Amino acid sequence: MERCRNAAMKKNAQKTLTPLSSSLKANTDAIRSRFGGSFDLVVRLFRSDAAPSRELAIIYIDGIVDAETVNVSVMEPLMSMTLPPHAHTKGTKLLDALRSCIVSVGSVGESATLEEALQAVSDGSCLVLAEGCTSVLTASVNGGEQRSVTIPQTQTVIRGPQYSFVENIRTNISLVRRIIRSSDLHVQMHKIGSQTHTDVAVLYLNGIVDEGVLKEVYRRLADIDIDGVLESGYIEEFIQDETFTLFPTVLNTERPDTVASILLEGRVAIMVDGTPIVLMAPITFFSFFQSPEDYYQRFDIATFIRVIRYAAFIVSILLPGLYIAVTTYHQEMLPTTLLISLAAQREGVPFPGLVEALLMEVTFEVLREAGLRMPRAIGPAISIVGALVLGQSAVQAGIVSAGMVIVVSFTAISNFVMPEFNMGAASRIIRFIFMLMAGMFGFFGLFISVLLMLVHLVSLRSFGVPYMSPMAPGSASQSIFRDVFIRLPWWAMIFRPFELKLRNPRRLPNRRKPAAQRHSDNP
Amino acid sequence: MQRIGKSQLSIMIIVFLIGSTPLFELGLKARQDAWIAMAMAAVVGLLLTVIYVKLQKRAPEAGLAELCRMHFGKWLGGTVALVYTVWFSYESMRNVRDVGELTRMALLTVTPKWIIMLLILFVAAYTVSKGLEVFARIVQLLFPIVLISYLFIILLLFIAKLPEIDRLLPIMENGMGPITKAAFPDLVSFPFGQTVVFLVYWKHLKEKRELGKTTFKSQAGVSAFLIFMNMLVMSVLGPALSEVTSLPLLQAVQLIRLANFLERLDVIVTLLLFIGLYVKMTALYLAAVLTLKEVTGAAYRHFVWPVGLVVYAASFLEPNNTYHLWLGLDVTLKIVPLFQIVFPLLMLVAGVRKRYKRAASP
Repeated sequence: MERCRNAAMKKNAQKTLTPLSSSLKANTDAIRSRFGGSFDLVVRLFRSDAAPSRELAIIYIDGIVDAETVNVSVMEPLMSMTLPPHAHTKGTKLLDALRSCIVSVGSVGESATLEEALQAVSDGSCLVLAEGCTSVLTASVNGGEQRSVTIPQTQTVIRGPQYSFVENIRTNISLVRRIIRSSDLHVQMHKIGSQTHTDVAVLYLNGIVDEGVLKEVYRRLADIDIDGVLESGYIEEFIQDETFTLFPTVLNTERPDTVASILLEGRVAIMVDGTPIVLMAPITFFSFFQSPEDYYQRFDIATFIRVIRYAAFIVSILLPGLYIAVTTYHQEMLPTTLLISLAAQREGVPFPGLVEALLMEVTFEVLREAGLRMPRAIGPAISIVGALVLGQSAVQAGIVSAGMVIVVSFTAISNFVMPEFNMGAASRIIRFIFMLMAGMFGFFGLFISVLLMLVHLVSLRSFGVPYMSPMAPGSASQSIFRDVFIRLPWWAMIFRPFELKLRNPRRLPNRRKPAAQRHSDNP
Repeated sequence: MQRIGKSQLSIMIIVFLIGSTPLFELGLKARQDAWIAMAMAAVVGLLLTVIYVKLQKRAPEAGLAELCRMHFGKWLGGTVALVYTVWFSYESMRNVRDVGELTRMALLTVTPKWIIMLLILFVAAYTVSKGLEVFARIVQLLFPIVLISYLFIILLLFIAKLPEIDRLLPIMENGMGPITKAAFPDLVSFPFGQTVVFLVYWKHLKEKRELGKTTFKSQAGVSAFLIFMNMLVMSVLGPALSEVTSLPLLQAVQLIRLANFLERLDVIVTLLLFIGLYVKMTALYLAAVLTLKEVTGAAYRHFVWPVGLVVYAASFLEPNNTYHLWLGLDVTLKIVPLFQIVFPLLMLVAGVRKRYKRAASP
């Protein structure tokens, strides 16, 4: 609290506001010099029929405004139109008259200080100045080059909408608005970053959202004090509940339909200008195993695939550790024939199981990173080098055993099953810890590290919501049916997630089967 | 104050009472009638729980230390609570040592015991440092694993046709004498009387009204399960074999041989025992820390690591496993009725008089 207030006071102290002068030249010079004479700052002085006696000016930055709008809605009317006779044009009233009768841009503001004017120019507004006025008009004419909406790159689905967010926050908000056409969809804007002044939007559905969580989101956003925000990852690290954990406590997505679905569940989305990645909170561990496609496919298939995902996660963190533990300490666990074949493979291998596994896992991590960073054109080379040279040849050369190659490959593939990239990243690091513990203490080491991981998991929270709910805390029926392991058919998914304290917890107001399946309707 | 739900309490009681109990074939003094001894002890255990619940109901928001102070006065009560703390730590230490011995026997024969005990105690200390809510949640998370594993083992034992009812016969060969001797006080003290530790936890229960019902239900259920497991192991191994093996359940499971594939299931048993021991160790450790906090009034976090260190150091006091077992099964079981029966009964009696006083004074 105390720290907060101090920071706020410091902020205020820094902001000494300069009022604008009544001289047009003084104002344009001041703005030009504050921008250091930057070459992309356009200052245009002119005279117009609207106010023949006075000189006018418009100022904007080339490239971040829409040139068309500036020309058609600001420049042209100003130069060609005249004010109606009844309009007041004396002194400072001139600007009001220009605003109401001439400048035909949707959102026009007025600022009286130099700092506000500068900020408006940086945000992509066009300033209209007039001789003898101590304020300026700011016409919002954002524009410029931007990427168009494309198909999702990282979170692809077979069935479902095929478009994703872009870098422009306005476009992104509109994409969500097009899905949820309701006045209950509220968007609150914040500016974060003392230098970048990045737009950060908080989206929620009024009447459904968990108010306590919303308040907490605002509190944490207000507390951020940083010079620049380039990506939502900056915001995520400031607002997450726990820094020193491998597990992500904020979900992210590039899909508008995912954002819409979590808003409908009563959660909050946080958009950051300049990135297509949107943050969502509060979430639980199980949110990372839900793909948007689960809800578009048939429920039985979706349930099956979801269970596969949990299994793949367990495999991807445990399998190498288990293999090391079994081959190093507990050979008696294996059926005899399997044991003999494994032993025969390992005969020529010079390393102990742990070293062999670490070697292969690190190699794989290097391959994977190389595949990501390499130019597209030489991508296939990686797979050839990786698969043939490091896989087959390493076995033939007797450096690693064939069994180990199978284990590492299967682990790697399991890791790619995760719908969320950051949970997959967590499992990669956990895997190494498990491998080390298994190499040192066998099954006991595995037991200890899994237990430690579970204790850590249940101690986590995401915006106050326990990370492992509705399993712990929660009840058995909740953890089975509330969208954790089983995706119920849509008509049976009556409630929103239980872990949130929602004002309106029901998705479906009354519980009933679809019309076609009700008895009375059947012939 | 941290709060736990009634389902969490119920699961805590179940997993706590299972603990390491199936590890040993208890009540062997009654030979094939061990299960009858278990049943008798279970009934007495439930009666004891009635006393504990009654005590708790007098002051629903009071922990063990507070209850002691209420009934015995400030200084004497505080001392009694401290003695309880020592006992909890000691029992926690026994579980740490059990893990050490079990790992040496079943998994890692050459790894030094100190590192094994250090690791398991570290996990326990980490849990305790996170508090009661986290402990309740982790037990909740482990419960399905325990449940499914036991069901799996039981199923396989039956599929492999190992249990033979003959091994439980004849019933009461030597009359009631040996059975009673086996049941009292040994079986009452371990595992059933250990529910006294819940005097520390009950005050954290959210739904105060459900306290008695939840506790009795879960304890009755888990008692039935323990009796059943006792019968099952006895019917697989028989009294003679049970007596000579140190880990009867492990022995029984090793007999399972199905389809040339399901052969080495020891690892499931070991896992189950680790989970049970971990839960028990942590529950007692946490109880010691919570009671200390209540007695002294100092912050909770100051006691987590010191108590852990004391438990760790104490786990080296016994020279070997034989001594450990002797101390646990012969000496300790004779002393613990003090905590499980004598003190609670004293409190019950003292409380009755106090209530009369209170009724008379105004």
